[in-house]
Amino acid sequence: MSTTEIIVRILLVLIVAPIVGCFFAGVDRKLSAKLQGRIGPRLRQPWYDFRKLMSKENLVVNKYQNLYILFYIIFIIVSLIMLFLEMDLLMIIFVYTIANVALILAAMSTGSPYSRIGASREAISMLAYEPILVFYIVGMYMLTGSFKISQLNGANAPLILYLPLVFISMLFIMSIKFKKSPFDFSSSHHAHQELVKGMFTDFSGPTMGIIEFAHWYEYVFLSGLMFIFWKQNFIMGTILSLFTFFFVIIVDNITARLSWEWMLKVTWTVIVGLSVVNILFLYLNNVKLV
Amino acid sequence: MAGVMSKSPWIVHMNCNSCNGCDIELLACLTPLYDAERLGVINIGTPKQADIMVITGSVNSKSIDVVLNTYNQMPEPKAVVAVGACACSGGIFHDCYNVLGGADKIIPVDVYVPGCCPKPETIMEGIAQAAGILDKKREDMKRK
Amino acid sequence: MNSLIFSLLVVPVVFSFLFLLSENKTFYKLLSYLLFAFGAIASITMAIHGPIQLEITGSAFSSMEGIITLLEILILIFLFWVSKKHNRKGVFSLTVIQAILFIYSTFFMDKHHEAIINVDSFSIIMLLLVNIIGTLILVFANGYISEYEHHRHMKSKQRMFYFVITVFLAAMNGLVMSDALGWVYFFWEITTLASFLLISYNGDEEAYNSGFRALFINIIGGICFSLGIILFQNQLDITTLTGIAAHGQLSGIYIVPVFLLCIAGFAKSAQMPFQSWLLGAMVAPTPVSALLHSSTMVKAGVYLIVKLAPAYAGTKLGTAIALYGGITFLLCSAIAVTQRNAKRILAYSTIANLGLIICSAGMGSSLAIAAAIILIVFHAVSKALLFLCTGQIEHTIGSRDVEDMTGLISKAPVLALITVFGLVSMILPPFGVLITKLISIEATAQNPFLVVLIILGSALTTLYYIKWMGTLLAYPTASLSMKSGANFNIYMPLWILSILVLISSIFIAPLYNNLVSPELKVLLPKASEALIINNVNIIAQTGSFNNNIVFIVIALIILIALLIHRTLIGNTRKTDVYMCGENVKDEENMFRAPDGTSEKAVFGNYYLTRIFDENIITKLGTVVSIALMLIVILGGLL
Repeated sequence: MSTTEIIVRILLVLIVAPIVGCFFAGVDRKLSAKLQGRIGPRLRQPWYDFRKLMSKENLVVNKYQNLYILFYIIFIIVSLIMLFLEMDLLMIIFVYTIANVALILAAMSTGSPYSRIGASREAISMLAYEPILVFYIVGMYMLTGSFKISQLNGANAPLILYLPLVFISMLFIMSIKFKKSPFDFSSSHHAHQELVKGMFTDFSGPTMGIIEFAHWYEYVFLSGLMFIFWKQNFIMGTILSLFTFFFVIIVDNITARLSWEWMLKVTWTVIVGLSVVNILFLYLNNVKLV
Repeated sequence: MAGVMSKSPWIVHMNCNSCNGCDIELLACLTPLYDAERLGVINIGTPKQADIMVITGSVNSKSIDVVLNTYNQMPEPKAVVAVGACACSGGIFHDCYNVLGGADKIIPVDVYVPGCCPKPETIMEGIAQAAGILDKKREDMKRK
Repeated sequence: MNSLIFSLLVVPVVFSFLFLLSENKTFYKLLSYLLFAFGAIASITMAIHGPIQLEITGSAFSSMEGIITLLEILILIFLFWVSKKHNRKGVFSLTVIQAILFIYSTFFMDKHHEAIINVDSFSIIMLLLVNIIGTLILVFANGYISEYEHHRHMKSKQRMFYFVITVFLAAMNGLVMSDALGWVYFFWEITTLASFLLISYNGDEEAYNSGFRALFINIIGGICFSLGIILFQNQLDITTLTGIAAHGQLSGIYIVPVFLLCIAGFAKSAQMPFQSWLLGAMVAPTPVSALLHSSTMVKAGVYLIVKLAPAYAGTKLGTAIALYGGITFLLCSAIAVTQRNAKRILAYSTIANLGLIICSAGMGSSLAIAAAIILIVFHAVSKALLFLCTGQIEHTIGSRDVEDMTGLISKAPVLALITVFGLVSMILPPFGVLITKLISIEATAQNPFLVVLIILGSALTTLYYIKWMGTLLAYPTASLSMKSGANFNIYMPLWILSILVLISSIFIAPLYNNLVSPELKVLLPKASEALIINNVNIIAQTGSFNNNIVFIVIALIILIALLIHRTLIGNTRKTDVYMCGENVKDEENMFRAPDGTSEKAVFGNYYLTRIFDENIITKLGTVVSIALMLIVILGGLL
């Protein structure tokens, strides 16, 4: 990749990704509203929310809690840039882990009961989804012989053809990552009696705005992970990403919030089992795409 | 930038000594029939992210600390909407020994929504007006 | 150079006798600073000089052999005496077996005529670890041990403490520099003895129980070691480690001595089913835990296993070893999630990481062994730092329970931040431990069974470290008063170790190129270059990591920090935490209870004890690992 292409991709990430993410967030609320028989907010509502949050006063409980949020957004952006630059996918996931750890530490550092409950549950969510992400990458390695995304450019078939069970597992954990039902117990729009706002209870104003902004980047990142399942064809890849997104929204609207014990049980037995079966299949049949 | 605050008024709902009639009407605003989310209204549970505090109930002496504490945890600019006759002036309980007589005895109220209990459309009108007041408050804040 | 090698053996012994002379604290401090200076200078000089071999023949050799035989007899006599005195029949009978093997190997086997001191790159790595971290821990002990004895109302045994630790340092130096298997075994036994003496330092019943359990298990390892040496000499005429490496892959019945040596390594590194001794050893003072039971002695076990790699790389034994290490990694990470005692968390984490090292070594490819050696380095440094921090935390708040460390950042900010730094270095990039996990996953990705174990274990590792980190930081602080701890002896090692963690991760390129890569060429001469690390890239055959991204990150941090610094950190107003308006006092999480009194909102972490029960998993691990060993033996013999 030439230097100009690298710079163009970085600029694309920095400028276009939040716009796409904001659009995703807007579609999410509008679609949920329509599914509930309402009119719902405008598509631009997340942008209005962001503007309002940035112009409010910044309240803190712990003087240094916002420092972690800085790390959160920076490392989300870095992992997205690395994704666009088609680097080593395993490294990308670990850089993404830094961002999540920073967010959990931010919530825990406030010392407030609701934040700490939310942060603990988010740590359990990390336990649930992290293995599946790495199984996905290992599956990709078994098919292409490399962990680098750029290796997929020369593949003669899409990943999803040989990783269908891993795709289903990834769909499942996307619900966890988007913090949507049935996995929205670390921070939810609806769980007020239980959690208030969970992890984000004690963040306000501009910090909350930055968190929302980081969420937009995160939506693009997660969609990007699903895009890689059909990287060769841009249209099919986008369809996969959009399918994931709509799947998560619809599941959000038809399920209730469940407990983290249930999530841990299901992910570590059924979902890990599915992924392991898929990988065993690749191991025994020695399929190679490149 | 016009309408920065008014396009996204997030509310925190405070029940002080209410009979729950106004609260039910307030929550009805968020249901599909009245759909307050059209205006960008979200019932955010935490005051730290809320713009408008919606108070119901005739405030009593036990609520003073709670209301003040929650009000102080709201970031500027903020507005308060007193929903229902009890929150406006104490309603039919204004003579009781423990009732202070309305939310404005503790915190500054911006919009009064009378009624016992007011209809959801009225409550939404009150919130929309408070959102407009927020815009003005923000201008004042920026000028200072 | 030769004198430097000898000084690494002799100087610590000299210091150990000096420590016996007087109990003056200032004298001890002076000696430990001198020893630290010596250790650092000597090991760094060795590193700069590079690998070296030294033949010991003739009269020098016979006198060394004489000393070793004499000391081994003394050790056996001591073991007989101490097990008789405390009425431990198990240890007594094992010592009998060991004595029989010793008599056989000394008087009934062919004599050697020379020994080789082989200081190769791996030895240099271990020398650096032992001499720098070990002596730093001794400095830490200056500030720690008096309070420890005072708290427990012990009469002072500090002379013995310093004596044994410095003798132990000498023994570790000897262990990693020796080539002759007999000498390695001798130094191995000294470390076992040192471990027993230091674990039972307290003098109370629990300490002696733990000490004897450690002795029991390590003597089992020692017996396997002796048997292995005897078999190696009788069947294959191999008496040195380089001999094993030169012989290459072993097959059939010849794999048995390799297997026996591996069991000795497993026992020393507290893998399942031998892990109980390491957990019991946590009753020892923290410097002991930091030195013996995380950075150096248990590393001797995996050192041996990595050195044996040429013998089992690519064979079924290698795969079995990898599977065994992986299972220990997963099961011990699971148990660590349920622990509340900080030292037990670190102990289980040590066992798990050693399992990961063994898993990588068992894979046998050059990338995997590179991962094993690099992980040895990074884990030693980070774990030593964490153990020392835990010791100081215990002195500050009087407890080892993680829940009691809530909000430590307000009481002891510098200590809390150093501990958080140590914890971060265990789970996040760009620090070494995670980079090696990355390389391990890339190395084992071909084998789905192994990679499942590593992936699940990694996820659990992240969980228990995050919990601890968050608990340390959880406090609604108005501002931090960065008053540092008063005691220089305590904080100097902490700062130096933190700096070591940082620079070893930054300078992973020279570390790999100069120290690890040559060792790989020695162990696996036919394999192609595993990793190419220069300052810009880490390139494996399968993946790569462009270091330029680090600069992009730094640029982004500066850019974004400038943009939002004022809004995020500058203009803030401090308020209470949200407790539904029922706050009573701020900074204390007190709220108005229904009866009008004030109550504190207390919060604890999830320990998942119903999902990962310690006893059940320990039993499972024991059963599985013994089954695996039996399968290997029966499969090899049949």
